[in-house]
Amino acid sequence: MVAHRLWEQRVTHSQRGTFMVDQLPNLGRELEMLSTMGMSSLDELFDDVPEEVRITKNMNLPSPQTEEEILSDAKRILGANVAMSNRVSFLGAGIYKNFVPASVMQLITRGEFLTSYTPYQPEVSQGMLQAMWEFQTLICELVGLPVANLSVYDGSSAAAEALTCAVRVHNRKAVQKNTLFVSELTPPDRLSVIHNYIQGAGITVKYLRHDSNGCLEMDSVAEAAGSCGVYVEQPNPLGIVDENLVDIKSIIGEETAFIVGVQPTSLGVLEAPGNYGADIVVGEGQPLGSPMTAGGPIYGIFSCSQKYLRQMPGRIVGKTIDVDGNEAFCLTLSTREQHIRRHRATSNLCTNETLIALMGAMHMALLGPEGIRDLAIRNMAACQLAKNALLEIDSIKSPHFDVFHYNEFLIELPGNTSDCLEYLDKKGLVGGFDLSNWYPEQKNRMLVTCTDQTSSSEIELLAAHLAVWSETMVSEVKV
Amino acid sequence: MSHLFEHHGAVDAGYRQPAPLMAKESVRIPKALARKNSPRWPRLSEPEMVRHYTWLSRRNYGIDTGFYPLGSCTMKHNPRVNEVIAQLPGIADMHPLQPEHHLQGLLAIFDEMQDMLATCAGMDAVTLQPVAGAQGEFTALRCIQEYFRSTGQEARDKVIVPDSAHGTNPASAALAGYEIIEIPSNPDGRINIEVLKSVVGDDTAAMMITNPNTLGIFEEDICEATKIVHDAGGQMYYDGANFNAILGRTNPGLMGFDAVHYNLHKTFSQPHGGGGPGCGPIGVKSHLAPFLPGPLVRKRPIQSSDPLTMVNDESWYEWFQPEQSIGKVQQWHGNAGAVIRCWAYYRRYGYELKTMSDHAVMNANYLRQRIMDEAQEKGLASAFTDGAPTKLVKHEFTLSLAPLKSEKGTGAMDVAKGLLDRGYMAPTIYFPLVVDECMMIEPTETESKEVLDEFARRFVEVLGDDTEVLHAAPQTTDVRRVDEVYAARNLCLSYPFDEEQ
Repeated sequence: MVAHRLWEQRVTHSQRGTFMVDQLPNLGRELEMLSTMGMSSLDELFDDVPEEVRITKNMNLPSPQTEEEILSDAKRILGANVAMSNRVSFLGAGIYKNFVPASVMQLITRGEFLTSYTPYQPEVSQGMLQAMWEFQTLICELVGLPVANLSVYDGSSAAAEALTCAVRVHNRKAVQKNTLFVSELTPPDRLSVIHNYIQGAGITVKYLRHDSNGCLEMDSVAEAAGSCGVYVEQPNPLGIVDENLVDIKSIIGEETAFIVGVQPTSLGVLEAPGNYGADIVVGEGQPLGSPMTAGGPIYGIFSCSQKYLRQMPGRIVGKTIDVDGNEAFCLTLSTREQHIRRHRATSNLCTNETLIALMGAMHMALLGPEGIRDLAIRNMAACQLAKNALLEIDSIKSPHFDVFHYNEFLIELPGNTSDCLEYLDKKGLVGGFDLSNWYPEQKNRMLVTCTDQTSSSEIELLAAHLAVWSETMVSEVKV
Repeated sequence: MSHLFEHHGAVDAGYRQPAPLMAKESVRIPKALARKNSPRWPRLSEPEMVRHYTWLSRRNYGIDTGFYPLGSCTMKHNPRVNEVIAQLPGIADMHPLQPEHHLQGLLAIFDEMQDMLATCAGMDAVTLQPVAGAQGEFTALRCIQEYFRSTGQEARDKVIVPDSAHGTNPASAALAGYEIIEIPSNPDGRINIEVLKSVVGDDTAAMMITNPNTLGIFEEDICEATKIVHDAGGQMYYDGANFNAILGRTNPGLMGFDAVHYNLHKTFSQPHGGGGPGCGPIGVKSHLAPFLPGPLVRKRPIQSSDPLTMVNDESWYEWFQPEQSIGKVQQWHGNAGAVIRCWAYYRRYGYELKTMSDHAVMNANYLRQRIMDEAQEKGLASAFTDGAPTKLVKHEFTLSLAPLKSEKGTGAMDVAKGLLDRGYMAPTIYFPLVVDECMMIEPTETESKEVLDEFARRFVEVLGDDTEVLHAAPQTTDVRRVDEVYAARNLCLSYPFDEEQ
C-alpha cells in the first residue's frame, strides 16, 4: 500500500491571514479603510444580511496553503493519474491525442489574452477581437462556409445549438414540423446533450439508419426531406468516411438544414462540407490546438451559411471603422444575444471558449494550407497502417472492411472487449474504446484510434499483444 | 495594421511535422470526398507567428495590464501557479474515457471540489459538469423540471425573473421550455414582495434570484421571498454570479434556496480568457440531487482488490450515476481543467475564503465612498446619483450618470471612453437595465487601496471633462471610438480574400 496520507500533509497551524498576504493587498489595513466609511469592523459591512441567515462559525474548510504547498499537493495528487503521455494509447472516440506546438502553449499564457474578458470596450480590445475575426476566417476557409462564430462550449453543444437553429429557420415552411433527423450512430452521451437542449422546444428526434458497412442508408435520408434538419458526422463516430454524404443535400432539399459534425483536422484531406451542400458545420475543435484536458475546456466550432446568420448562437466579430475611418474590430449582431434579447435570444450562451479557440487559431496559423493537409494524411496513414496490421490477426475481424477511415476503426474480437482492455492495460497499453459503453449488446467490439501522434512501433506493439490475447481466447473456446 | 492573411512568406508550413507512417501516395482517400482546394490560410514561419500574436496581445487589455472594474464579472487576479498546475500531464494529457483507475487523482480533486462547493453554498450535492454559468442555470432548471415531472406537477411551467436579472436567466429558462414572468423591482432595486405575491401560483416552477442583486445590494427580504415561492410550491434558484460577496458570511442554503450555480471563473479565479472558458457547477438540495447530470464522484473505503494507483491509502474514488439523472449537458466531464485551477485557488484560502469576500465588500464600499467624497470635494457630486439608494453595498455598486447626461450631454458611454483614455478598463455600462445611464463598478478584493484612491480621483476628473473632450474620447487607445453601427450595417465577418487584388 502506498503510504501517502494526503490530509496529514496539510499545514494545520496557520496564523490567520498569513498565507493570503500575497493575494490580498489590503490585508492589515482594514481599519484604516473602514474608517473612511465610518466603520470599525468588517462585520459592519454585513449589517444588511438578516441575522437568521448569518454564518457565525468558520466554514468547515481546511486551513490556507502556500503556493509551494499547493503545487506540491497538485503534483502528487495529479501524479496518481495515468497520463496518456505515459501510455501507448489507442483511445479516441471524440477526444484525440494531438500535439500542441510549444509556441501556442507559450503565447496563450500572455496575461493580456489570459486575463481579459469579453471585449465590451473594443478600443482597448482590438487584439482579441482581431484574433477572433481571424479565427472566424480560418474556420470559414476550412469548412467552406461564409460565417463562423467565435466558438461555443464544445462539439456537443454545437450540434445541439445547430439543431435548434435549424428549427428556428425552417419550422414555418417545414412539412414535418418540429422534427429533426439525427444519425443513429451519434454517441449516447452526445445525444443526451442534444436531448437536453431540444426538449424544451417540443422537438421530435428521429433517427437515420446505417447499412451493414456503417454508411448512411439513403432511404432513411429520404424520409428526412421536409423536416427541419438532418445531423450527421463526418467521419462518423465509428471513424468511417461516408461518401453518401455528398448526396444528402439534393435528397433533403433547400428547406431542410443539412448539418455536418466534423473532426476539423480531417478537412486537410476531405472535402469541405460547405462544398457538398452543408448548411451548418459544427465540430469538436480540440484536435486543433487544445490539449485533451480530460474533455474540457475544449471549444466547439459553429459555422453556417448566410441564411442562418441571424438565428445563430454565440458571439461574432465584425470588421468596421473608428471615427477617424481607420480599420477596427468589434462584436456585432448582438441583438441575437441574451444580454439584449433576454428570453427571445437565439441561445443562452454568454461565456464561451474564446481562449481555447485562440489556441486553435494559433495552431491553424502555424500549420498553413500544406500543414493541415500533412496533419490529416498523418492521421489517415496511422489509421490505415493499424487497420492492416490488426486484420492480419486471424481471429480479429473488421465489421466495416471496404470503407475509408479517419482516426478510428472498429474491430471484432474473439472475446469480451472489457477483458481485452484489462489485459492490455496490464501491458501498459490503453487499447481502445469498449463499444459496449455505447451499445451494451456489442460486447466484443472495440474502437481503435490512431492519430498523428501514433507511431509504427506502437501499432506493432498493439498488434503483438492482441495476437497473443486473441490466441488465448480462441484456444479457450476450443477447450 | 497587420493582417494574418497577408503573410505568404514561408514557402511551406511554419511548423515542420514528422513524416506520415506510410508514403503519402499510398494513403487511400475516397475520390468523391477528396478536398479540391486548400483553405486560404496564411503561410507563416514560427517567428512571424509568434510576433503576430504577441503584437495582438499588446493591443488587448487584461487584469495584468491594469485595473478592470467590470461590474458583475469579478475580474480578480488570477494566481499563476494555477496555470502551472493546469498544464501538468496529470490533467492536460488525460483522456475523459480512461478507466477509473487511471483517473484517481482527478476524481479525488473532483470529490474535494464537490464537497467544498456544497459547503460554501449550504447545498447537499454538486455536479461540476456545466461549463459556464448560463449552462449551470439551464442544468438546474432541467433538474427542477424533471423533479416536477416525477411528482406529477408538469403544469408548473413558469419561471419568475426580476427585471434586474442577468439576460442569461430568462434565456436559460426559455431554453428549458419555460414561460418567463418578468417582475419589476422596487425603486431601490430590490424584490417587490407585493408583485411577487401576485404572480406566484400553481403554475410556478421556480424563481431565479441573484443575491446580492445586480445592483450590488443584499436582498433583505430574501427569506420572505423564499417563503412566498415555497408556499406556492415553487423552487428557489440562486444565480451565483455575485457569490464573491458572501462567502463565509451567509449562503444560499441558509436563505432557503433549492439550487445554485457557481461561476468558478468569477469567484474562484479561472482566468476569463477574453470571453471564456468558464466553469458553472451547480449545487442542489437533496430532493433535486437524483436529477443531476451524471456521472458524479464519490469515495468509498479502499479494498485490497483495488489497483495500486490510489491518491491515499484510505479512499477509492468512483463515478456514479444519480438515479433519475437528466443525462448530460456536456459530453465529457465538464471543464475539468478549470476545476483543477479553482481547486488550487480554494486551497490558497481554505476557510479564509471568508476574508476574501470581506475584502471584496470592503473594497467596493471603500471605492464608492472615495468616489463620493472626491466628487463632493471637486463640486461634482451632482453629476451622478446612486443606482439605488442604499447605505451598504456588497461587492459592487451602481451609479446613474443621468444627471450628467442631461446637464452636459455626456452619459455612461462617454465617461467609459474617458476612463479608457486614463488607462483603465471601463466599468460595465447600461446594465442592469433598471438604472438609467448605469455604470456598474466592481473592484474585487485583489486591488490595493492605492489603486482604488487613484481610480476615484481619475473617475471624478473624467466627470469634470468638457463635453467635446468626452465626446471625442478615447484619443490614446489603439483605435479611436469604434463604429458599431457601421459594423452591423456593413457586415464583414471574415477576411475579404476576393478584394485582395
